[in-house]
Amino acid sequence: MSGFAVVLAKECRDNARDKRTLFASFSLPLLGPTLFIALMSFVLTNALGESRETFRLAVVGAEHAPRLMDHLARFNVELARVPLDDPRQAVRDGDEKLVLVIDPTYPDRYRSGETVSVTLIYDSSSMGSERRNFERARQMIDQYARKIGVLRVQLRGIDPTVLQPIQVTEIDVASPAARALTLLSMLPYFLVLVVFMGGFYLAIDATAGEREHGSLEPLLSQPISRTQLVLGKIVAASVFSAISTILFLVSLAVSVPFVPLHRVGMSLSIGFADCVAMFAVSVPLILLGAALLTVVASFARSYKEAQTYLSLVVLVPTLPLIVTQLLGFEPDTWLMLVPSLSQATLVNSLIEGDRLVWSHVAISVLSTGTLAALLTWVAVRLYSRERMLV
Amino acid sequence: MIRTEGLGKRFGAVQAIADVSLEAPDGRITALLGPNGAGKSTTLRILATVLRADTGRAWVDGHEVAADPAAVRRAIGVLPHGAGLYGRLTARENIAYFGALHGIRRRALDERIAALIEQLDMAAFADRRVAGFSQGQRIKVALARALVHDPKNVILDEPTNGLDVMATRALREIIQTLKAQGRCVVFSSHIMQEVATLCDDVVIIAGGRLRFAGSLAELKRTTGRDDLEEAFVQVTGETAA
Repeated sequence: MSGFAVVLAKECRDNARDKRTLFASFSLPLLGPTLFIALMSFVLTNALGESRETFRLAVVGAEHAPRLMDHLARFNVELARVPLDDPRQAVRDGDEKLVLVIDPTYPDRYRSGETVSVTLIYDSSSMGSERRNFERARQMIDQYARKIGVLRVQLRGIDPTVLQPIQVTEIDVASPAARALTLLSMLPYFLVLVVFMGGFYLAIDATAGEREHGSLEPLLSQPISRTQLVLGKIVAASVFSAISTILFLVSLAVSVPFVPLHRVGMSLSIGFADCVAMFAVSVPLILLGAALLTVVASFARSYKEAQTYLSLVVLVPTLPLIVTQLLGFEPDTWLMLVPSLSQATLVNSLIEGDRLVWSHVAISVLSTGTLAALLTWVAVRLYSRERMLV
Repeated sequence: MIRTEGLGKRFGAVQAIADVSLEAPDGRITALLGPNGAGKSTTLRILATVLRADTGRAWVDGHEVAADPAAVRRAIGVLPHGAGLYGRLTARENIAYFGALHGIRRRALDERIAALIEQLDMAAFADRRVAGFSQGQRIKVALARALVHDPKNVILDEPTNGLDVMATRALREIIQTLKAQGRCVVFSSHIMQEVATLCDDVVIIAGGRLRFAGSLAELKRTTGRDDLEEAFVQVTGETAA
């Protein structure tokens, strides 16, 4: 066995025995997709149920406006006639979500053709469907008011269209499927994070950890070249990162069928071939991540110090993604020069079922691979300096 | 056989050692003696190829340390200050790691480790993880690791630090055995009694400079003192507090 293989085998075995490393490396890829799928299902179901679900409307003083009640009863509303002393407090306390209060003067004023007043009480600060239900109740009441208005104007011999000089038609093109897709575009972030977190603790243990435990000095007096030593450590971090990535992809492929995408007429399946392709385009990023983490952790004298540095380093690969997301770039050749961004773009294409552009893949592999090689060289240089030990 | 000529090493503004020349022959135990911060560890680390000397040269079995570190690394076994073991690996795995780095083949390595475990009386804890070991057990593992490639020269940096009486005695016996096997043994210490009972030659360093090199008898003769501690104090030029 070459020195490289000896170091690689030792680092993998050593770290595989560390519960903290295992947990930190593999919990995100295993649980991430599950959470993600749950979130996506929630958003979809919520979006689908929006227009159909019935909601409860508590009414105080319903006896004053029987016709209005008849009107409301035609919609998907669960009318509850409740005698509340303090309807505001009831809403504030959360006992009722939405209360309609009808003024006792309603029948008289209605009969004499005056403006009658009703009050809708809701809490806009509460999360969930309160706001939406309020809008719907309001619309229902407005509709009834318009109907009465039209009748009154007609009685006076006036064309009711004078009451409506402008008609606004609303069209919201954001379908439930579009919302689901927005979520789907977050997947590459996840992947990049998983790649970097996978090698995180091993890289620390193999560098700063080794220093802290005083084992680096005897190690450096062994007959192994610095190049083989450093390569062994970087590849070990890559192995953990690769395992983490594979777990993530498998976990994703398994959980995706549970998203009720068929209800919005979409189909999304991540098959074995997609997983292999996504893993393949991620390999250069895995090597780059391992090399970057190793270089940075080598500057730290203790485990804790390295942890502090690397927590910042793992944010770096997400920056290009955020910037392009904000500026809204289309997949383009020059994007392929940027590590993490190029992999994210390629993975996105794979998820959306597009064919990969081979020139893009080639540029991505070459640019990221070159940077990984450069960082590896830097790591070797670092370990050749005796300042490593003093 | 270890030899140095005019070794000097500076860390920033601090001159750690200057003009240190010494010789440690095979089949003898040479003690590197000096107060804390005298430059003992720096000298040993240069010999272990971990640090590079600014001035002077050093040879291990005729291989120059700066010119051919690979040959030197094969010729020496180093017990570093504080052992430096991997806590999640067993004693056997710790030893095997360095053996494999020396390129020893699987079967030969297994045999060699078994022999070391026997020789150092480690059978009871050889397959336990190092994390919970006592200091005596750790030193034994680190020593076995240093000896795994059967080096002709053995460097021990303050090996008795933190050991209890029984562990110290056991270590002393092991060091005697190494000498009997014809190895060149160099160990650093600041404990006089230990040196007196164990070593053949003494090298005294203080303030980064060589103060004395020779046998114990010569040390007593040059200082005119019978008590080693007195002799040591006189040579290092420090007044007894």
